[in-house]
Amino acid sequence: MSLTASRGGVTLVAGAAEAPARPERPSAAGWTVRGVVAAAVAAVVVVLPLSRSGFEVNIYTEAVIYAIIGLSLNVLLGYAGQLSLGHQAFVGVGAFTSAYMVSVHGQNFVAAVGTAVAVGAAQALVLGLVSLRITGLYFALVSLAYGTMAEDSLFNITSLTGGGSGQEAPKPSAFSSDWRYYYLCLAFLALVLYVDWRLTSTKTGRALLALRENPKVAESFGTAVKRYTLVAFVVSGVFASLAGALLAHNTTRVVSSQFQFRLALLFVIMTVVGGLRSRVGVVVGSAFFALTDYLFDRLNLSDAVDALPGLPDLSPELAPLVLGPFLLLFTLTRHPQGMAEFCGPVARWLGGAPLRHRRTLDVTEVAGTGASVSGSANGRGPAAGEDPSRA
Amino acid sequence: MRRGVLASVALAVAIAVLLIAEGSQGRQTLVIGVVAGSGYGLVALGLVLVYKSSGVFNFAQGEFGTIAVFALWAAHSAGVPYFFAMLAGLVAALACGLATERFVVRPLFHAPRVTLLVATAGVALLAIGVEIWLGEQRGRYLAPALGRLDRVSVFGFRVSDQRLLVIATLAVLAVLIALFFSRTNLGLAILGLSQNPMAAELMGISAQRLSTFTWAAAAVLGGLGGILSAPLATGFEPGFLTYSALIPAFTAAVLGGMASLPGAFVGGVVVGVAESAAVTFPIFADIPGARSVMVFSLLVVVLAVRPQGLLAPRSVSVGKAL
Repeated sequence: MSLTASRGGVTLVAGAAEAPARPERPSAAGWTVRGVVAAAVAAVVVVLPLSRSGFEVNIYTEAVIYAIIGLSLNVLLGYAGQLSLGHQAFVGVGAFTSAYMVSVHGQNFVAAVGTAVAVGAAQALVLGLVSLRITGLYFALVSLAYGTMAEDSLFNITSLTGGGSGQEAPKPSAFSSDWRYYYLCLAFLALVLYVDWRLTSTKTGRALLALRENPKVAESFGTAVKRYTLVAFVVSGVFASLAGALLAHNTTRVVSSQFQFRLALLFVIMTVVGGLRSRVGVVVGSAFFALTDYLFDRLNLSDAVDALPGLPDLSPELAPLVLGPFLLLFTLTRHPQGMAEFCGPVARWLGGAPLRHRRTLDVTEVAGTGASVSGSANGRGPAAGEDPSRA
Repeated sequence: MRRGVLASVALAVAIAVLLIAEGSQGRQTLVIGVVAGSGYGLVALGLVLVYKSSGVFNFAQGEFGTIAVFALWAAHSAGVPYFFAMLAGLVAALACGLATERFVVRPLFHAPRVTLLVATAGVALLAIGVEIWLGEQRGRYLAPALGRLDRVSVFGFRVSDQRLLVIATLAVLAVLIALFFSRTNLGLAILGLSQNPMAAELMGISAQRLSTFTWAAAAVLGGLGGILSAPLATGFEPGFLTYSALIPAFTAAVLGGMASLPGAFVGGVVVGVAESAAVTFPIFADIPGARSVMVFSLLVVVLAVRPQGLLAPRSVSVGKAL
């Protein structure tokens, strides 16, 4: 805070000098253009998968599920300011629970997903309780150790997970074709988006915002910091295990080697690069990273890298591993809002707002942490996470 | 603090006596555990150093070591004598630490801690990615600096010279760094900065210069830990220290109180012994991945029962604000 106080003050004055913007309504032509763009986006998301082979639809479905995982991590990292380095285990527990319920106990899809969600909430609550025993970001350590433990031990308990050969997880009978299952996952993504939007626009959301900016100040204003952080852990655990269950039935077989530490880091990367606290950004970022090796393959980028002199081959599987962390560091240090810096304004424009890129800091940020990643950059309070339809 | 020291020493002695009395399995556990644990302790020292000065868990600490090992291996394979190759490894780690500080830590100087946490994890992953890209995902073997195996034996178990070197280095470094923080102006300045950055800067302490110093020191410590302990493993591959040593090292640091350097030493040995017990004793044989379970349980139990750690120094605020 010490050094940025003066800088922050200047920005605040600049922001305050602007007249409060009156909501401008777009013209009829404006609405038409917006409608065309929205229809194009909808066509890519909803219609395009119909014309693709089952294998490719599986990849699209995975992208949708990754978006749910990204939103799960966003609740922790974006709203509560806690880092999880064991999210692959949260997802994996959901996947194995659902698969176990379906193939060992013969339960239907709904009961299996419900159980997975309950187990996911319980594990997140227990780990959260342990981590919050001491001030600081201990959840990062606990989840890191938990993820490795799950990978080495939990997922290798043969009676629960089927050991090395894994557990069968057939698709629900009503959604047995690849594209039907894709639409089911889209529906679940919509549900998660709705819950997330409700979470941010209620008392809990404002409490989380306050405690992330400055836990001591929030506490002194009567916010139950630990309780709300626990709520964030549980919501995140629920989203993650839901995504895990969906992932299990998408691949129709869950194997423990699917959930390696590397995956947890990929989840962190896609969420941060997508843009913390921006629903649109997180969804786009997650889908982007889920599709990276697919796109890399389709666009023959490996050959482009091969053409560069002096560098070894960069295979499609390696691409996210090398480019991802680089993008992550670039995002953190240069563009803390990530892809949302671009996607957010576009989404708001679709909702009728003028397309304009303003960068002012809001009061909470200036008072809180100085130049933080947490910046919501539109001079509209916590606007980065705002739902496009409300803008 | 003194009660904590006494209690933990008594606990350690009791465990040691129990293990020795148990028979050859217990003795084996003890010897292997202490040796492996001192490797974790070396990594933990670097973690504590960074945490003490900036309140951040440095997830890139393991990678400083791995990069040093790769540089040492590359130099040694190219015909450079072992000692100079070790220097090359340390220089590589130092360069990596300085680059991390300059391009990642400094731009995020005023960002929330959690951002820096994500960033250090990003540095680790970037290092692993580049290692795999340039060095392929395959195991390599690194010859030890001291090759003799049978000079010393404890309870009938031979302890190689390289292992003794690791233990000695850890003990010396833990004492030296503890003295550095309590006796030198530079060490006190770092502590002051971590407790109250604004007051420290008003006293004329340069936050940026100290940050550079801390990360450089942590990177060299990590590099030293890597090049000393890599020959003890069966081989090394990209990211091996992050995958194998980072979690035990963090557990060791938490056990020691996260800000205590002797605590990192003690914690490392305790984690090492617990881990080797999980491997040696037959009651754990039915649990898959018993080592990871043991480390995770240890971390959870410490946080649940004594979250401030065994040897938390009273003067340093253990948990910084989010």
